[in-house]
Amino acid sequence: MRAARAPITRASEVPFETLCQFLYQEARLLDQRKFDQWNDLFAEGGMYWIPLEEDQEDPINHLSLAYEDSMMRQVRINRLNHDRAWSQKPRSRTSHTVSAIVVESVCEASNQLVVGSAFSMAEWRSFGHRTFAGLYTHTLQFSDGRLQIVEKRVDLIDSSEAFEPIEVFI
Amino acid sequence: MDIQNLIRDDEVHRDVYVSDEVFALEMDRIFGSAWIYVGHDSQIPEPGDYWTTRIGLESVVMVRGKQQEINVFYNRCPHKGARIAGDGCGHTKGLFRCPYHAWTFNLDGTLRGVPYLEGYENTRFDMADPRFSLRKVARVASYRGFVFASLSEKAVDFESFIAGIKSSLDNFCDRAPNGTVSVAGGVFRVVQRSNWKIFFENLNDTGHPIATHESSYRAARQYADEELGGELPFELHIIDGNGAPPKFWSDLDLHAFDFGHSYMTAIFNAPDDPLSQSYFASLAAEVGEDRAKEILGVNRHNTIIYPSCSPHTSFQQWRVIRPLAVDRTLVEIFTFRLDGAPEELLQRTFTYSNVVNSPSSIVMTDDVHVYAECQKGLATQGGDWVSQHRNAGQDLPFSGADGGVIGVGTSELPIRNQFRAWREYMAGDVAETIPQQGNER
Repeated sequence: MRAARAPITRASEVPFETLCQFLYQEARLLDQRKFDQWNDLFAEGGMYWIPLEEDQEDPINHLSLAYEDSMMRQVRINRLNHDRAWSQKPRSRTSHTVSAIVVESVCEASNQLVVGSAFSMAEWRSFGHRTFAGLYTHTLQFSDGRLQIVEKRVDLIDSSEAFEPIEVFI
Repeated sequence: MDIQNLIRDDEVHRDVYVSDEVFALEMDRIFGSAWIYVGHDSQIPEPGDYWTTRIGLESVVMVRGKQQEINVFYNRCPHKGARIAGDGCGHTKGLFRCPYHAWTFNLDGTLRGVPYLEGYENTRFDMADPRFSLRKVARVASYRGFVFASLSEKAVDFESFIAGIKSSLDNFCDRAPNGTVSVAGGVFRVVQRSNWKIFFENLNDTGHPIATHESSYRAARQYADEELGGELPFELHIIDGNGAPPKFWSDLDLHAFDFGHSYMTAIFNAPDDPLSQSYFASLAAEVGEDRAKEILGVNRHNTIIYPSCSPHTSFQQWRVIRPLAVDRTLVEIFTFRLDGAPEELLQRTFTYSNVVNSPSSIVMTDDVHVYAECQKGLATQGGDWVSQHRNAGQDLPFSGADGGVIGVGTSELPIRNQFRAWREYMAGDVAETIPQQGNER
């Protein structure tokens, strides 16, 4: 029925269901270790950010658990795929759950949406099973009929805790 | 347990890493007497500011007092034992108030108020008795803002303890145009499933990078080759450094000093870019060009201040090593602003730390993994002794200003040097009389 209408051009017109599917697909690509496809979801200049502090505003003038552009994401991916990534023997297996998805804001000028959600990620690796939990904030660009990630912000509920190494994308 | 049977000049018994009994002794004889890094005075600029941390297994609070003095207490209310301060940084207005029964304490730790005071009449309780105040740690000393404490009156004095490695603390601060540094940007904390000494051994171990870090330096090179025509931006440059050929590592210098301290010379330099140039200008404006060149010419990779911390002078990182259990260690990573330097330099410090020291570092993760593998292997019956033979007996007294001994870059000198101090501490006789170092044999 939607196909009968003119194609969507505005971020504000993107159906909620499409946003949900985008977030689910993004998480699923990570769980399937399709990291290259996952990285392709980002817009040019898009950033993957795990702040160190609650309500951290600045990724440049403060430490972050991760603040990665396409280069650093790709280097992380290269490493995860490398045969001598010792700590990835056995390799991490993950399961994401994404829920409580809400559209927080829409910017007509930039054609961007900010989408909030809650997530948990279970990970199994050499030292056992652990869980990450927190909030995602996706800033999404709508252009050429598709959504792209301008920023994926991962606010862990325990971001300032001590961690064992975090290797895969959360 | 006879500690002397666990240690030889060029190897140690696996029990030093896996025995609960040895760990308990270490907490008593090493962390109960050595000068342990507590924090930096920039973390507590105003009276009432405090920082809660650990010395060995003890929870302690470092607080700025009313006269600007720095006090370090055990974090324990003398009444029922509750900790009086939570973890991390905080501020209290003029007094500590225990959350349990509201006993209050001045910033110098003395007891100030006790509810229902009349109930203590004709008892053995006495407001003036020190045992009803917060207990101070035995000794506190600081150098250029870096605060250390010792839980024993008897062990070596701070001046002697720090003498060999003072040059790294000086260079850490001299790099600031104002001559001072301050903690900035938060704290990374990483847990390792391994004994604390394994981390220390790794800090100046140049034999491991090419093997342990292969996945990350290959990943960085792959990206540079595929996308950048082989060019290495700063982030990739620091990852790539671990893949340098063997000659590069053996050409480095390792300097070792009394009490287990050491440092290695730098494995890479800051890029010669507009940021480095504006930073140099800011330093030269304060100290002159010649002195600025001299300061930046002291280029070191990890310094070890045994047994509690490791500054990286060139990129303003400071790692603190806190043993949690025989097979578990917490490492805290602090980053520092060079006061008076361009703000962008601090951003580069953060970038360096994000890449190398963050819990999500693609470099460190392989280190932490092999530490845990050592811990597992050492618990087996596969052999009792751990080798430290590389270049044993080949270290030479250093005639430069630092003194100490010097070894080729791939020597296991720093590890043997740590265990020389370990043996002294564990024998219970680290004092002003610790032997001066000559040729290692």
